[in-house]
Amino acid sequence: MSYQEKRTLMSIITSVLLMVSYSIYAFGKAGMEHINDLQFWAKTILIFIGIGIVVLIILQIVFHILMAISKAIRAKLSENEVDEEEIGRSMRVETTEDEMDKIIEMKSNKFGYTIMGLGFMAGLIAIAFGASAVAMLNILFFSTWTGSLIEALMQIRYYRKGIQ
Amino acid sequence: MPDKLEITNNIRTLRFFAHEMTQQELAEKAGVSRQTIIAVEAGKYSPSLELAFRIADAFGVPITEVFSYTK
Repeated sequence: MSYQEKRTLMSIITSVLLMVSYSIYAFGKAGMEHINDLQFWAKTILIFIGIGIVVLIILQIVFHILMAISKAIRAKLSENEVDEEEIGRSMRVETTEDEMDKIIEMKSNKFGYTIMGLGFMAGLIAIAFGASAVAMLNILFFSTWTGSLIEALMQIRYYRKGIQ
Repeated sequence: MPDKLEITNNIRTLRFFAHEMTQQELAEKAGVSRQTIIAVEAGKYSPSLELAFRIADAFGVPITEVFSYTK
């Protein structure tokens, strides 16, 4: 599994865990007590977005460090010496973002945007049929999350199957 | 719409004749990630013209010796 695949997989796991914790919190006791309090929902969503960003940044840094350590251990085991320059070079080659990454990102973005767009439409339809603003907010949040999840899954698929 | 061209490459052979150049070394010379070289070599990704020239340049051969196509 390449660096990009591992990184994408890590962001999928993080976002799934965050969404599970959001669902437990928001649709548990706290959410039920503020069922029509738009401000509560907006704050909750903002907090979870913030937590998501911070967690992802921390995990990326930890992942990068762990990858460098594993390369050093592998070098030590196979050659009995650790060439820091070689490890640095190897890390650069693994983590370089090039034209293939950009094409894969563009292709998978398309799926993400489509789902977000559909979610926006679903939110509008829900409002048109009398749903509350809180319901629309949650539809938008879930569709954005689903969009980014599908986007990440498509990225892994493209890395595995290739793009022609 | 015209039929799709099947693009093949000789990267594995060229690496062998370049003193078993590793995919990492080729990636470094071409300025891309090892993952991209793996994908190009396996025919899973058709590189841009610029990258194709850079790969050919890494071996010191014309582009037609690296990539070929069949209709």
